[in-house]
Amino acid sequence: MTTGTTNASPPATARRPMPWRSIGWVTLRQRRGAMIGVSVLLGVIAIYLVIMAIIQNNAYAAVTACHPAAAVKCQQLAQDFSSTYWGGHDSALQSGGAQTVSSLMFVVPVLLGVFVGAPLISRELDTGTFRFAWTQGAGRTRWALSTLVLPAVLLTAVTGAFTALFWWYFRPFLADGQVSEFLPLAFALLGVAFAAWTLFAYALAAFTGTLFRRTVPAMAVTLIVYIVLAIGTATAIRPHYEAPVTEPGWNQGAGAGWVISSWIKAPNGQQLSQAAVNRLVPASVQNSQSPDAFNNWLTSHGYTMWQSVQPDSRFWQFQLIEGGWLLVVSALLIAGAVWLIRRRGA
Amino acid sequence: MNVIESTALGKRYRRKWALRDCTLDIPGGHIVALVGPNGAGKTTLLTMAVGLTKPTEGGVTVLGGVPAGSPDALEGIAFVAQDAPLYRNLPVADMLRVARCLNRCWDQRRADDRLERLGIPPRQKVGELSGGQKAQLALTIALARRPGLLVLDEPLAALDPVARDDFMTSVVEAAREDDISVVLSSHVLAELERVATYLIVLVRGQVQVAGSVKDLLASHGAGLEEIALRHLRAGVPTTSGTDTAR
Repeated sequence: MTTGTTNASPPATARRPMPWRSIGWVTLRQRRGAMIGVSVLLGVIAIYLVIMAIIQNNAYAAVTACHPAAAVKCQQLAQDFSSTYWGGHDSALQSGGAQTVSSLMFVVPVLLGVFVGAPLISRELDTGTFRFAWTQGAGRTRWALSTLVLPAVLLTAVTGAFTALFWWYFRPFLADGQVSEFLPLAFALLGVAFAAWTLFAYALAAFTGTLFRRTVPAMAVTLIVYIVLAIGTATAIRPHYEAPVTEPGWNQGAGAGWVISSWIKAPNGQQLSQAAVNRLVPASVQNSQSPDAFNNWLTSHGYTMWQSVQPDSRFWQFQLIEGGWLLVVSALLIAGAVWLIRRRGA
Repeated sequence: MNVIESTALGKRYRRKWALRDCTLDIPGGHIVALVGPNGAGKTTLLTMAVGLTKPTEGGVTVLGGVPAGSPDALEGIAFVAQDAPLYRNLPVADMLRVARCLNRCWDQRRADDRLERLGIPPRQKVGELSGGQKAQLALTIALARRPGLLVLDEPLAALDPVARDDFMTSVVEAAREDDISVVLSSHVLAELERVATYLIVLVRGQVQVAGSVKDLLASHGAGLEEIALRHLRAGVPTTSGTDTAR
């Protein structure tokens, strides 16, 4: 070789970036396995939910058709429906009803997110294929954006659509007043929460995968952080999205909303501790078989009962608040992963 | 035109310098053998030149002054990393399509012709190919990009002797056909002697010798291997025999 020309040097004029459609094809082709996995998992769950939703809705139709509703026969029917399909009052895992199933669904978002998100970048780094991917003409930033954002959009869309099945599945229990939409295990599956938590798990797994360069540690860390945050949100953060409404009486059951806390006030307006109440109320009343004995004793002695609740009417507001901050956190995690990819060396 | 030009280039990984104060010019129009013992900084130099990693100090430009890692540089350089990393789970045809979708400049017919000549079936999974076939596939993809510069990092390390010979023949043919510059690194000069037209010996990031093979042979009056060995020894005063095959 004696010639010194390099006629294939890049054209200096009007170099346009690779179109997203092309890079997107690469992302979809590489995620084919993950897409099949997600489809199978959600497909199996969907089949179960559809079958159970049909059975439950039919059974509940029989309950609502029973007249007069106050008759013993109808009360018994409603109670049977509840204990059969929702589940007993014992441990949720003993009953096998919708209560159990919804509890198990708690892990679905994190399973999906970890399964799709963790290998995205970590496998490239682990196997060395990033040396191929990042030296192509498209450039690594466009590659990273497509690789991270496209699956996020698809996963969010699919899980968002899947929520319709949960609504159908839950309808008899919600209509019955048996279950509040605010009940944590219902709240997590309805509205935008199911999709938002899936997106968050995905983004966290993708970020930790990029950070650790390994799939399995990313999965483990994501699982732990997710579970802590999801439980922490339901117990400590969600009740404070808006100041709860304080109302007299201890209302429970249909339409009562989400009870955050309840307390007892003395006739002089002083709030009593649990220990003080226990000292105050005679043991005979506390141990009474009648469920109303305790309340009746308090009322007749001038004590008042109070509770703070999040009314059911705030359901969508709370859904959007939770979906909103999860979306922001997820976007930050994905941006963080892109930043790591941009600055990462070989 | 210099296809790679570095000035006081240095790269530190955590606390260890992989390359330091490396200034060199690699001229275009050659098949350049970048030779040096393990740890000389060859891979570090090449990964910075192809834009995979950023220098800690100094700078590197490619293709006659284009900043390494810039869009123009990425488009003009085809890089095959050591062990030719490709997506093992994809069939060969899909692997090609992945590369096509990531590069504006792409010659599909060229890729198809080459694979047919090599007898690599398009439906075969990349992970099921032999080491030699995989290296040839990586080279095929690199050449289909119609690069101005082809950079191969230790391309022969994982290949058996027959595959090495076939691979080097392919590189020489492609360089002649496409009129492109080639830079390949190795810690074993014997593999490159037959094809290289330009030799750079790198020891601890320092250029020990650089020049066209023709000139080196004329001025030193010795075989290429002997010239290189002499400089490798000179650059590594404390130890000898570091330049052995793995």
